[in-house]
Amino acid sequence: MTPPVDPPTAPEHDDSRLDGYTLDQLSDYLDVGMTPPNPDIDSSAACQIALTSLRRVRAASALLLDAEADDESPPGDGWVERILNAISLDFHAGRSIPVAHPSPRAVITTTEGAIRGLIRAAGDTVHGLLVGRCTLDGDITTPGAPIRIRVDASVFWGQQIPKTATQLQEAISLAMSNQTELNVTAIDVTVHDIYRP
Amino acid sequence: MIVPQQDPVPLLQADDRTLVGRAADGDSQAFAVIVRRHGPVMRAYARKLLGSTDEVDDVVQDTFIDAWKRLSDLRDAATLRSWLMRIVSHKSVDRIRARRYHDDIDQHEIESPTATFPENISVRRSRENALGQVLSALPERQRQCWTLKEIGGYSYDQIAESLALPSSTVRGLLARARRIVTKEMEGWE
Repeated sequence: MTPPVDPPTAPEHDDSRLDGYTLDQLSDYLDVGMTPPNPDIDSSAACQIALTSLRRVRAASALLLDAEADDESPPGDGWVERILNAISLDFHAGRSIPVAHPSPRAVITTTEGAIRGLIRAAGDTVHGLLVGRCTLDGDITTPGAPIRIRVDASVFWGQQIPKTATQLQEAISLAMSNQTELNVTAIDVTVHDIYRP
Repeated sequence: MIVPQQDPVPLLQADDRTLVGRAADGDSQAFAVIVRRHGPVMRAYARKLLGSTDEVDDVVQDTFIDAWKRLSDLRDAATLRSWLMRIVSHKSVDRIRARRYHDDIDQHEIESPTATFPENISVRRSRENALGQVLSALPERQRQCWTLKEIGGYSYDQIAESLALPSSTVRGLLARARRIVTKEMEGWE
């Protein structure tokens, strides 16, 4: 039988042909989702047996890392600590935000990262909810420019989402007016998930 | 005045999207949860590529340090794991290339790997463990190629380029690895 696909040149491809196909060609056929269908492969018992083996190995491969991760000793505090130390000087500060001061000779700025930290801290005072990403839309580098805050959040099971979201908006609004000069015009809350018990 | 709530924020229960969002915004505690959650899988993956060496811990630590810097590039937190795995792949491949294999690969790989397979493979407790055993008994280059292809999702060409090997060599190594793995896994339904 003539192989419908040109055989690869390496000799090791040639010694285990399955109705004219190599294991690698069958593996490539799986890679492309078995489309377009190849009637020769689909009707060959030998190929089907080999495909079943390949699928079995793939299924095991997909779960392999999780199985081995379960056997890993959990990362020690020292190991995690080394990573945290290495990142400790990179604050993700973002843009600089000017802070008004009576003296024209004083230049004071805070950072976008600090504002996000404030928003997060405000969010963490609200029971039953976790704040995720915070985004400040608007030109925060210009004093008085309108700023829209967008907050991603997830809510714990049993919480009333509208009520919890409103509490979050109020907590952020209070924190912003008490501790910043930002002209916050809107606070949008997106609840992306609910944690089930 | 913000009064911290009594209970600590239950970050351990947070989903990846929340953790990635917080970490991208500069919350290192959220990032610590990511490290603890995904660290074991990244170590297992790096070990598949590098073997059991001290480099595994270095590579995974470097991976997380890089990830911290680049978290805001991650558009979809649902892909956090595969995104981290890609960083592990790159860093592991760098280490592998730095090893400078002087010996001829075909000579190196020609030893009969089946002879080194553990005989008690049938009593391993799961199919995944059996696969892990089979892979760890493969010659190093075969294991690296197989892992990049079947776990890392690399194409033949990407493997060839990463490991600085001719494409035909990669295909040959993968062909041998695949034959051994499928044969050894035949009994595992």
